[in-house]
Amino acid sequence: MMTETAPAPTSSAAAPPAAPLPGPLDMAIATACQRIAPLWPLKHFVAVNPYLGFSGQSFAATAATLRRVAKVDMLMARPFYREALAAGIITDAHIAQALARAPANAPIPADVALARAALARDPAERARSGPAVVATIAEVLDKLSAGDRQASRTAFMVDEISRWCAAYFDEGQASWQMPQRGAGPWAAWRETMVHDRNAEAMGIKDFRRIVAGLPADPVAAIGLIVEAIGIPTSAQTDYLHRALFDIGGWAAYVRYLVWDNGLYGRPDNRLVELLAIRMAWGYALFRQRTDAQFQAAWAAEMQQAAQLPDDAGLSADPDLAIDLVFQEAYEIAWQAQLLGKLARDEAAAQPFAIPARRGRKPLQAAFCIDVRSEVYRRALEQVVPGGETIGFAGFFGYPIEYVPIGRTSGGAHCPVLLTPAFTITEMVNGADPALETEVLGLRLLRRRAAKAWKSFKQSAVSSFTYVEALGLAFAPKLVSDALGLTRTVSDPNTDGLDAAVIGKLGPRLDPVTVGGRMTGLNADQRLSQAEAVLRAMSLTSDFARLVLLAGHGSTTANNPHASGLDCGACGGHTGEANARIAADILNDPAVRIGLRSRGIHIPDDCWFLGAMHDTTTDQISIFDRDRVPPALRADVAELDGWLDRASALTRRERARLLDLDAPDGDIDAQVLRRSRDWAQVRPEWGLAGNGAFIAAPRHRTAGIDLGGRSFLHSYDWTQDNGFGVLTLIMTAPMVVASWINLQYYGSTVNNKVWGAGNKVLHNVVGTLGVLEGNAGDLKTGLAWQSVHDGEKLLHEPLRLNVFIEAPLDAMTAVIMASQTVRELVDHQWIHLWAIGDDGQVSHRYHRDGEWTAL
Amino acid sequence: MTITPLAWSALAGPIALLAVALLPAARPKALAARARIAAVIGLITAALAAGAVALAGPFASPALPGVSILFDGLTAVMFLLVSFVGTIVVQFSRNYMAGDPGHARFTRLLSATLASVLLLILSGNMAMFLAAWVATSLALNQLLLFYSDRPAAILAARKKFIASRIGDLALALAIGILWQASGTLEFAGMFAALKAQGAASPALVLAGGLIALAALLKSAQFPLHGWITEVMETPTPVSALLHAGIINAGGFLALRFAPLLELSTPAMDLLLVVGGFTALFASVVMLTQNAIKVSLAWSTIAQMGFMLLQCGLGAWAAALLHIVAHSLYKAHAFLSSGSVIDIARASWSPSPGGAPHPARLAMAVALVLAAVGVAGTLSGFAIAVQPGVFALGAILLMGLTHYIAQSIDQRPTGFVIARTMVAAVAVAAGWFALQAGMAALMAGTLPAEAARTDAVALIAVAIIVAGFAALTIGQASFITAKGADTPAWARAFYVHVQNGLYVNTLANRLVLALWPTGLPSRR
Repeated sequence: MMTETAPAPTSSAAAPPAAPLPGPLDMAIATACQRIAPLWPLKHFVAVNPYLGFSGQSFAATAATLRRVAKVDMLMARPFYREALAAGIITDAHIAQALARAPANAPIPADVALARAALARDPAERARSGPAVVATIAEVLDKLSAGDRQASRTAFMVDEISRWCAAYFDEGQASWQMPQRGAGPWAAWRETMVHDRNAEAMGIKDFRRIVAGLPADPVAAIGLIVEAIGIPTSAQTDYLHRALFDIGGWAAYVRYLVWDNGLYGRPDNRLVELLAIRMAWGYALFRQRTDAQFQAAWAAEMQQAAQLPDDAGLSADPDLAIDLVFQEAYEIAWQAQLLGKLARDEAAAQPFAIPARRGRKPLQAAFCIDVRSEVYRRALEQVVPGGETIGFAGFFGYPIEYVPIGRTSGGAHCPVLLTPAFTITEMVNGADPALETEVLGLRLLRRRAAKAWKSFKQSAVSSFTYVEALGLAFAPKLVSDALGLTRTVSDPNTDGLDAAVIGKLGPRLDPVTVGGRMTGLNADQRLSQAEAVLRAMSLTSDFARLVLLAGHGSTTANNPHASGLDCGACGGHTGEANARIAADILNDPAVRIGLRSRGIHIPDDCWFLGAMHDTTTDQISIFDRDRVPPALRADVAELDGWLDRASALTRRERARLLDLDAPDGDIDAQVLRRSRDWAQVRPEWGLAGNGAFIAAPRHRTAGIDLGGRSFLHSYDWTQDNGFGVLTLIMTAPMVVASWINLQYYGSTVNNKVWGAGNKVLHNVVGTLGVLEGNAGDLKTGLAWQSVHDGEKLLHEPLRLNVFIEAPLDAMTAVIMASQTVRELVDHQWIHLWAIGDDGQVSHRYHRDGEWTAL
Repeated sequence: MTITPLAWSALAGPIALLAVALLPAARPKALAARARIAAVIGLITAALAAGAVALAGPFASPALPGVSILFDGLTAVMFLLVSFVGTIVVQFSRNYMAGDPGHARFTRLLSATLASVLLLILSGNMAMFLAAWVATSLALNQLLLFYSDRPAAILAARKKFIASRIGDLALALAIGILWQASGTLEFAGMFAALKAQGAASPALVLAGGLIALAALLKSAQFPLHGWITEVMETPTPVSALLHAGIINAGGFLALRFAPLLELSTPAMDLLLVVGGFTALFASVVMLTQNAIKVSLAWSTIAQMGFMLLQCGLGAWAAALLHIVAHSLYKAHAFLSSGSVIDIARASWSPSPGGAPHPARLAMAVALVLAAVGVAGTLSGFAIAVQPGVFALGAILLMGLTHYIAQSIDQRPTGFVIARTMVAAVAVAAGWFALQAGMAALMAGTLPAEAARTDAVALIAVAIIVAGFAALTIGQASFITAKGADTPAWARAFYVHVQNGLYVNTLANRLVLALWPTGLPSRR
């Protein structure tokens, strides 16, 4: 075996292996890497389905695989279901339905009484061994050393890999960056491990020599290790997945880097290289022990791992089968409630009435499909009798890269499934070129001065002078920050700009070339985008005098996860730029003339307003007021009044969940203060509670209190020729909504694994993610504080219920044509329901294109 | 000094905080509101008492057996500082910890810890000082174990526990020696006795060394610094209070016992050498750290090292200024550590700038040192008499050199350089004003700046200044070099530095071997 020391690596010889044909090991590596879901960095944090890599298998089979391979639970613990049963949330009828829905071969109780009895029993200690259960070397060592005076090898290994990744991937925290980071991860790691004595300081002998002896090619290294430690072929995928799962946070971040490169067609092998690093660690631990005790324990593990799993049939895991029945019953109970609401009797008394009004609508207002919009739309409809609200993905159909003043590139303001199609630069409205140049130049100079200042503050020598000369200035800053009078640091969006300029910032639509890139939209692009957006919104006639297009964003202080509260459809940015662009283009006279030739007549007295809904304070800001034609100024003034009232109503409704100090006091002021409180860990609830996605005309749901738990997409299939819009809805917003839903699901059922843990321990690393405490793996998902209010869960663990009003055949066709959609619905990652022509929910999707009538 | 029973009123804050820690409360939020009131009471009494000291000079309570209050200028500054930071931290915790199952327990522990630190500062009696010293450490230990199921929290707390108990022992021995030598436990009486004795006996030199040892252990100095980089296993406000309120106890100890330390050259040398080395070592390690809180912790180690270096140089007032300024800075840095993403989003690179040329910087350092020499000699100082003044002044000017050099990149612009120059001059003026102000404020309370001229001190000062100069050059050359331009030795050096020279791993292994956690691993 590997006894002689190989020469230290001198260059990144990580050329792809010569053999182009993928062997079984390459397949196993690819599958293991594919199982990791990406993690977006905190600068633009978006929701991701943590089970994305498992969409090829069912919800139940994934739960079984994860229990077997990673030894983690994907469902709530039994007490949760017991309490739901005791509280009458789950009834016998729900259990019976759940038993009926279960797959035929699953090891489930024969009837409701037996199921209840099974729930009352505590599950057996989770099988640490058994067929096809995968153990790692570190884990076996930990097990053998129980009671031994050794540190946990798993924890030490995870800490070390995590610390190395933090240094390698650091986006700007350290002043002295790892000099080796120019090479690929595997080559860089091997070079640092020539010098790094930390593992040996902890007692792992010969660590540097063992690493130096591994091949320079990461795949070859993995192959060598897999063979040396004797992983049976059938268990290779699971073992490699398990290895990555140990450092799942960093694996997820690297998966994001790979994903991002993939969008632009760039190859990226870094996840495989990270896997090689993790495998090398395991291998070094393996080489520590040659004694019979370890050899026997390891051989036994490998024998188990060689057996074939039966995740789909659940035969090896009857406890999981019971839990799955009750999860299903819990969801059925919620579905029953929701179906009851949706099936309202039109003649019966409604919670509140929305008076109909003849003639032209006083207002049309489009909001993001985000669940937070539902509350606001309901309030606005109450305040504006006859007004219409519309739900649409908050990027308003404009996938843009938005480049702030002074910069050469910007963030992608579009769903992460897309790449930006347009580049839009920020500009100062009403400024002549000379002033623009001045603003730009000043911002650049201030940025450079700020860089020097930051270096003064943080360098090794000057930090002492900085502290002595300026430390006292933090006394007033501590007071004003504590009182919410100042922001801890300046707002990154407006940093380096004068207050007079900030109010005039906006997107530049006119086509210009900036830094060699074409920016803005030309006439053809404007017209085709405008038409596509209006048709996708089902908004092609009956325009009101004012049409509000409201994107959304949040206002929080001192919150590393702030961008996660912004618009997911805008890639973790606010929807301001997109809404303003959409409105601007629809106000363009040339576009309107063009639209007329395509059958969409926007009356001359109709004006589109770009706006932003602040979901933390529920304020709506309207942009570009100065461009509103004089004839419509009075209408805008009236709209301001409506918005004020709707905002107040919305805050009142949201305040019930906010645990305010004075629930009977000035709610508006308290909600506002919350958005500025640097100590606030729950400034708003984000998308907590989400459980449904409804694509139908708004009048099907208007007047129903959906409690801020539904994504609402406006959709009228009768206007959808060829069902192009239906395809779009099912392949994009529905998928994104399911990502959000499963992110909340994962963070709720097992926050340790799929959540970000405790917010008060968060430690931002590399300015890209958080650690919980001082070390450990990078955390993914949402903080516990984002789903739990201290007394109860604010998010119920439910898979998304999708309701679409469209012909069954049309939906079936979309399902059959798209693998993504088919996997989502056929593998029970979402529940799909059809709404009939009478507006009543008529069918539930089963699988393979089959629907069950209700 | 005025002896007045009114001095007892300074106990109002600590007593109110202890009441919060002990009395029952209906709801965690109500308890947090009460803690805020208690902290504000402490802050108001601190302000009033500080005003009284400023107007009428130091005062003290009548001495009771083992208990008395000494309220001099040092007490005034420290008491005001800790009450202020404590109030901010208590207020912060109220919303931050809301909904945590242990919110009430947290409030109680925080109040108890804060009360202990305040009592330590007020102590006019060495027995009371020792009791408060130990109580602070024990209360803090409970806060560090707030999430007691986290293995890393336990490991860090154990390391801290071991270091603290050694420190307690050193302090107790020193107090015992002083009691023997002076026949009193009262600070006032003890210092008077020391003054009367004149030259120090070997026992007093030993006592000074023990005090220096306790201060070094309390301030997380090399090689027992590891625990402080690992106590992020407890909520952010604890870190803020620890780094801004409690870690200062080491410095406060040195300042309080300054008249004794001045008599003990080995003690001063110990502070100078260990503090100076730690300042250099930790500030280099800090540059390589990638997690915000860990980076802040290394910064604290370095800053405390620098402060103890000032103590070792006998620059007592400068050390006190450093304590105050660092506390305020670090409290804000920890509490606002969640804002680092906002900073990162605003930290785009404006142009393809570049690092200044290393030779130019070396020249700048030489110029700075020459300027210090000329200016110092002209103003009547001689290097051999006041090496400490020159060391601290040189470090200031090297910092400014670094700052100005940063503004000169590959495309120098007048605006940026002028702006930087103005800021640098303002910083320097502010620095001198603050140093002079603090020295004036502490005249009579702290000993005047001592002239350290023994061989150890001179050599140490020379090495430390050379180290800082090397660092200034290094920061402009290999540290900011891009990837392939980094020399091979620097690539290896980076790895060792990033690992903190492996000291902490060895300490972990030792602690685990002696005192295993016996807890399962993560997840």
